[in-house]
Amino acid sequence: MAAAGTCGTGTRSTGSMVAAASTNNVTSFQRRGPRASGADSGCSRLVSIAGTRPSVRNGQLLVSTGLPALDQLLGGGLAVGTVLLIEEDKYNIYSPLLFKYFLAEGIVSGHALLVASAKEDPADILQKLPAPLIDDSYKKECDEDVCSHKMEPDIKMKIAWRYQLLPKMEAGPVSSSRFGHYYDISKRIPQELIETSKWHGFFLPEKISSAFNVESCSLTPGYMKLLQFIQNIIYKEGFDGSNPQKKQKNILRIGIQNLGSPLWGDDICCTENCDTSHSLTKFLYILRGLLRTSLSACIITMPTHLIQNKAVIARVTNLSDTVVGLESFIGSEKETNPLYKDYHGLIHIRQIPRLNNLIYDISDVKDLAFKLKKKLFTIEHLQEGGLDL
Amino acid sequence: PTSCPATGSPCGSASSKDSVEWEGRSLLKALVKKSWEQVHVLGCEVSEEEFREGFDSSINSRLVYHDLFRDPLSWSKPGKALPGGPLEALRALDKRTGSGPATIALDSLSWLLHHLPCPILCQTLHALSRQDSCPGDTLPGEQVRVLGLLHEELHGPGPLGALSSLAQTEVTLSGTMGQASAHILYRRPRQRPTLQTQWFSILPDFSLELQVEPLLESQPPSDLHTPSVDPTTHLTFNLHLSKKEREAKDSLTLPFQFSSEKQQALLRPGLGQATSHIFYEPDAYDDLDQEDPDDDLDV
Repeated sequence: MAAAGTCGTGTRSTGSMVAAASTNNVTSFQRRGPRASGADSGCSRLVSIAGTRPSVRNGQLLVSTGLPALDQLLGGGLAVGTVLLIEEDKYNIYSPLLFKYFLAEGIVSGHALLVASAKEDPADILQKLPAPLIDDSYKKECDEDVCSHKMEPDIKMKIAWRYQLLPKMEAGPVSSSRFGHYYDISKRIPQELIETSKWHGFFLPEKISSAFNVESCSLTPGYMKLLQFIQNIIYKEGFDGSNPQKKQKNILRIGIQNLGSPLWGDDICCTENCDTSHSLTKFLYILRGLLRTSLSACIITMPTHLIQNKAVIARVTNLSDTVVGLESFIGSEKETNPLYKDYHGLIHIRQIPRLNNLIYDISDVKDLAFKLKKKLFTIEHLQEGGLDL
Repeated sequence: PTSCPATGSPCGSASSKDSVEWEGRSLLKALVKKSWEQVHVLGCEVSEEEFREGFDSSINSRLVYHDLFRDPLSWSKPGKALPGGPLEALRALDKRTGSGPATIALDSLSWLLHHLPCPILCQTLHALSRQDSCPGDTLPGEQVRVLGLLHEELHGPGPLGALSSLAQTEVTLSGTMGQASAHILYRRPRQRPTLQTQWFSILPDFSLELQVEPLLESQPPSDLHTPSVDPTTHLTFNLHLSKKEREAKDSLTLPFQFSSEKQQALLRPGLGQATSHIFYEPDAYDDLDQEDPDDDLDV
């Protein structure tokens, strides 16, 4: 698991402890391999990769999903080596936002990106990422929103005096080592941030040649090619520790858009009893195996509302680690319900993984709603309203 | 009152769903007539003569008909019909429209769904509506528009949902009392989709006439605006604040609010500050004896 990544060289550490007589060490165990970091081997045991932090509950290495509210709901963030599955809303308006937040967070934290899509060119997806906000401007956004609700702009919030004296966060450079940033959806990410980032794109119509040979293997050709691509990148760039990395370790963020839609060549959305019904589940199984043995995290958006066979949805949920469902109110009778009038949809946390744990980490709140403001995507508790997480 | 948004959309695909009662081919032909660029029609369900019937010569001249109706399985001599079946025909359309803006009308998608696997059809349609040539060279007006006719009752929810998610505009035909209406769902790329209902009729020469919604006398007026009841009128307690009360509330210092007086009080428990006293009045049963009461026990 990626938890092992926090203690040194990940998969190699267990095999390379050799009991050797050592002259000037406290212990007789000596790690085989280059002793480049001799003096500070104590502190380099905790791999400090930018944009990650260990979980306060179980020490798992976490990355931010790009939305601090969602991080809090998931127990601090997304664990490295796991899959976050987003069940798309009916008209696919809000799930691309979560997808873009994840990728933008990767760029700002300096992680490597792998973007796979069958619908849009990955280069176009990267161009449309939201721009990161520095702290002062985020507070200004919140104040603007608060003021626009009330008609009297001179009512200031009475803050308890202890918090007035807390030091404000530094408005440092955008590519900071903080965990979890805020983004402005109405602005595009600056071009130079994209150019300095390392990203790999997988666009299905380019990878699949026009020869539509229906192969007899159990995975649809699109999925097979994607898995090979991912495995290739992980191996070549050394995210699984295979190439001894002299340079700093980094996280690979994988984003797969609209998995399971007919554009990937999968007919799981088209028929109820399809021949290739195991293709998607096999893909998820192999993908999770690839993720568990590398320093990577993956976000997948899937149009589960189109999948006809409910058993497949249950299998897909079990094969993913974290599952978040989005339900938008557009076109449904909830749109006119006065209870939901301030919000655009509900967000359901369907599953949270038990990683090296016996218990779940689910928050107690079950009724969460989201709202897409002009510049921000916020998640709130439904009944209390206005209590931003 | 404006033109039908399906023709106003710059690019992408539009699908019309019809049913047995409200047929959609005439709407398709009306939309074909409205577009003033070259039109390629992939005809599968009706013959070429029947499709061209009703169009005047100007439209017929810019209409290129790819006939899959006459010989769908290519039994006759090659060269007469389109070889390779419907998939090849679609791909040939993709390559043919590389030059200039064009409209592709698919009559019908239902026929294609029955002859091709749904994912392959979706992928081919997606490739059709994307511009395959160098993406930097295309102007917004030069892209390809794809119109498809789909018979709703022939398919299950799976293929319908899959094709709906591909289409940028979806027009569902229905109507009441002899008047046809179109429910138009227009999905813009990153914004909320809009649902609109447009009443229309198609004239014999296939021009589209938009109409106002007819009066429905048979339906009872169900959406009377009920006057909203103010819940605070008949309460036994007072929810409103008078001006004096509001002033008093604003000038109240909350316990955790920082002010200079509070700071002084915290830093210097000063002279004016009364120290706290405990006032205790012993009860009749209280024992004021300070000794341990358990000493009495003979344990």
